[in-house]
Amino acid sequence: MLFRKILYPIDLEKASLEAKPYIFKLKDAGCMEVHLLYVMVPSEWGLIPKGNYNSEEMIEALKASMSEGYVDGLKRTFRKLQEVAREFEEEGIKAFISIIPGKLSEVISSYAEENDIKLVVLGVSAGSLSFFKIGEIVDIIKASTKPLLIVKSKVNYSSENEK
Amino acid sequence: MPLFEKVLYSTDFSPLAEYALDYVKKLKEAGAKEVIVVHVVDDLSIELPDGADLLREKELFKILPEVDQEYVTSIVERLEAIKQELEKEELSVKLYLKYGNISRQIVKVADKESVKLIVMGAHGKGLLTEIILGSVSTDVIRNANCPVLIVKKMEE
Repeated sequence: MLFRKILYPIDLEKASLEAKPYIFKLKDAGCMEVHLLYVMVPSEWGLIPKGNYNSEEMIEALKASMSEGYVDGLKRTFRKLQEVAREFEEEGIKAFISIIPGKLSEVISSYAEENDIKLVVLGVSAGSLSFFKIGEIVDIIKASTKPLLIVKSKVNYSSENEK
Repeated sequence: MPLFEKVLYSTDFSPLAEYALDYVKKLKEAGAKEVIVVHVVDDLSIELPDGADLLREKELFKILPEVDQEYVTSIVERLEAIKQELEKEELSVKLYLKYGNISRQIVKVADKESVKLIVMGAHGKGLLTEIILGSVSTDVIRNANCPVLIVKKMEE
């Protein structure tokens, strides 16, 4: 059951979405579940209690401590994740959504450990693998004890940011 | 969609690389048909040109000192054993035994063979070594033109 349960860290950028067809294909090799994980990196979230903000109600409750604009943006993210989850469900793969604040590499590795993940699928931009930017990806690889499928997008990091 | 049709499997014959082979076999169910098995040697007692093909360039083998010839012969036997194992799974197999920089040669063969995926084991190395020198796996990820499946450790 090498590919049964896949963790798919996703930031909804083009590079991360390009990993999706690989997970669809892995259904034929036994993938039954995909866990979509959106990590709120510190610059985005400030001070939020640790937890999994995986429902509109939980996100709405953040309005008590965060700006309305940010929380509404997070809700839009959640809805987009639901759309991606639906695509997997339509392919016959059970999908779960998690939105967790923290450092990317730590959240990914601890989620993978706690949920008995078999494979982590990462869609990364070519720019993030350049000599000066590869640090974050190396951190994820180092922190993970699980196998990783790294799908490298042809999307250029700088042009992605210019959108 | 032929996302996993042609797979490059890089091996250093370690138990982790052997475990990574299970992933290659499993990928047959996701469409893998052909496996390019690659081993790169960088520790012969004489210097050869980077990228020398020790399987196909027979005259190279002849110039090697006896100790290296024995070493290369033992590697060829191990590669042949992997070939047989994969052929049992009804996968077609092509072998490469290259000399030179490990990550560079893996990426070169991957490009030459237009593989769809590289599968390899990744051994944890010291943080400092990795920051300064980079590891084989991170160098492959950085330079490959296709997805890379990194197998970190064996399942308990």
